[in-house]
Amino acid sequence: MKLKVDKTMVASVALHVLVIGWGLITFSARSLEVVPEALPIDIISSADLSKMTAGLKNGEKDKPKPLVEKVADARPVDEAVGKIDDKKKEVVTSTSTAEPPPKPVEKKPDVKPKEEPKQAEKKPEPPKPDPIAEALKADEAKKPKPKQEAKATPPQPQKPKERVFDQSRIAALIDKRDPTRQSITGAALNPTSALGTATGNSDTRVANWMGPFVKRMRECFNFPYNGQDADQFEADIDIRMQPDGTVGVEPTIVAVRGPSKSVATAVAESAKRAIIQCQKYTFLPKEQYESWKYIQLTFGLTEH
Amino acid sequence: MIGTGSTFAVLGSRPAWAQGRLRVEQGEFQPLPIAIPNFVPGSPADTQVGADVTGVITNNLKRSGLFAPIDQAAFIERITNIDVAPQFANWKTINAQALVTGRMTRQGDGRLKAEFRLWDVASGQQLTGAQYFTAPEYWRRIAHIISDQIYERLTGEKGYFDSRVVFVDETGPSERRVKRLALMDQDGANVRYLTRGADLVLTPRFSPSTQEITYMEFGQGDPKVYLYNIETSQREIVGNFPGMSFAPRFSPDGQRIIMSLQQGGNSNLFVMDLRSKSTTRLTDTPAIDTSPSYAPDGSRICFESDRGGKPQIYVMPAAGGQAQRISFGDGTYSTPVWSPRGDYIAFTKQGGGQFAIGIMKTDGSGERILTSGFHNEGPTFAPNGRVLMFFRDPGGNSGPSLFTVDVSGRNEQRVPTPGFASDPAWSPLLS
Repeated sequence: MKLKVDKTMVASVALHVLVIGWGLITFSARSLEVVPEALPIDIISSADLSKMTAGLKNGEKDKPKPLVEKVADARPVDEAVGKIDDKKKEVVTSTSTAEPPPKPVEKKPDVKPKEEPKQAEKKPEPPKPDPIAEALKADEAKKPKPKQEAKATPPQPQKPKERVFDQSRIAALIDKRDPTRQSITGAALNPTSALGTATGNSDTRVANWMGPFVKRMRECFNFPYNGQDADQFEADIDIRMQPDGTVGVEPTIVAVRGPSKSVATAVAESAKRAIIQCQKYTFLPKEQYESWKYIQLTFGLTEH
Repeated sequence: MIGTGSTFAVLGSRPAWAQGRLRVEQGEFQPLPIAIPNFVPGSPADTQVGADVTGVITNNLKRSGLFAPIDQAAFIERITNIDVAPQFANWKTINAQALVTGRMTRQGDGRLKAEFRLWDVASGQQLTGAQYFTAPEYWRRIAHIISDQIYERLTGEKGYFDSRVVFVDETGPSERRVKRLALMDQDGANVRYLTRGADLVLTPRFSPSTQEITYMEFGQGDPKVYLYNIETSQREIVGNFPGMSFAPRFSPDGQRIIMSLQQGGNSNLFVMDLRSKSTTRLTDTPAIDTSPSYAPDGSRICFESDRGGKPQIYVMPAAGGQAQRISFGDGTYSTPVWSPRGDYIAFTKQGGGQFAIGIMKTDGSGERILTSGFHNEGPTFAPNGRVLMFFRDPGGNSGPSLFTVDVSGRNEQRVPTPGFASDPAWSPLLS
């Protein structure tokens, strides 16, 4: 079979392909080169990897770290319990002294009074008695109130007598609040502080008070000068601070600089007045007193 | 770590207890709030003068643009005795940073005794205090002197309130305007006329060191430069030159007068020693050299010249020599005046149909226009170099008025005069 090839067509196609191809390469938008950030990596062999991921058949079984719901039965988390404890305690005492009614709702009437709170999660019911009574009376489904009311109305203990148990309204007794124990994921606490790394020093940094302090100084420092050489005037002032945020002794003028000594001195005196006027600096963190008990400042003018 | 452009920076490394110097840059400038209660009268008869002195001080400080006197209606405490410390809490409450208390007492010999104290409200310390005795008619001068004391103590610079201004008072219709030489306090008070208006007077200039004025007057012949002593009211002609002499100005020591002399179509600069009457030519160019002004140290002069084609500002040694052009902006520059502080040269700039008053550093850099409009002209510096006075003519049938503006250009104030006024020249401090 003989193919009749139109040479011009071929040439045209070839040329188009060439031109388009060249254009694609030449004019294609080049993405900005992103210099990869250097990251520390460890190279491990595939054997190591598979070893790590394979696991051991004879390995020690993971100790079950159940969610608190389950763990709570066996090992209550002290702190968590402590937190919730207070609330629950009050609920219990306020509702009905030693009345059994609250307990029935619980699954486990524990012996330890302090453990109760754990289940308390499940038993926000203690307050039930009151809500029910109220609900029945006022025909008002008000179950979130429980704790507060229980606390706020100690006279309620007398109410129990009036209580009427209505099965159809049991739903109202169910605590619909979200569980508050989610933050506790196991019995063991993470040994690493959640506030930072073991080597972190955020707590000891002082920049956090410098910004507000300088800002406050700027607000108070107002020197009457209107020359174009304003930016050449500077005054170094040292301050000794008291722990309560007041200026201990009169600020010291360490040095003054500027085209006119009398003006530079006036700048320093104005700065001293600003320091005294703006005290006391209650926002300075007391726990960082060591970092601000002696503050060195340089006051400068800006041309306007 | 030094943070450029940040509000503070820590310099160097220091021990933990010293975190390095924190830098505090002044925020947006606000005039300093100052409380000036009426001066306590020594006797009931002194009540008015006490209030008057307080009013003058308040007005002076307010017009400077650096202070914001607090309205007396806001005062909580009434000062009745200046010999006991005020209750500073009351003045802190109204945000006063400084407090002025004073007393005016008529003495047995008829003189007036003025006492004042300047207090720092924050620390409760007295910053300065003084007492003055004067004839009762000079109560205004006492107020100016106290104003200067307050200004100097709080800014570190000499004040300028106890000074006067000579100017050309203008009255009558524009086609038959009568121009008289007049003298007033820098705040526009106490105007007194030095000439009767029979002849046209122009360009009065104060001596930097004496109470003398030099000016140009058109008499019967060519205009001549005159010297006028304010205290004796005597005047004399400065030299006897062929042709017109104009644009006179004193040397810093007051011993010489520099001026322009017209010769043909040109004018050149000459200096005349007032004691020996000897004259020295400073320039010799086929151009118009005029409006010379000395640097405060007397070493150089600035002047206006069109030697480059159009009027520009030049600086050259006071004894003559190579002149260096320092103005290069668009338009033309004229009436240069060297600041008494030596840091700026003020000028009138014309361009784009506007006349502007501006300042530049003595090398021509840092040009800053302070005010601009239809016609602003003739800047003169206050004795401390922080404020300029000039005249503005709105055109039409109206006439010129005097204004002050500070070197930042932010604070422009009109100076009250009895009639139209032009060509002001500021005196040195009187005290």
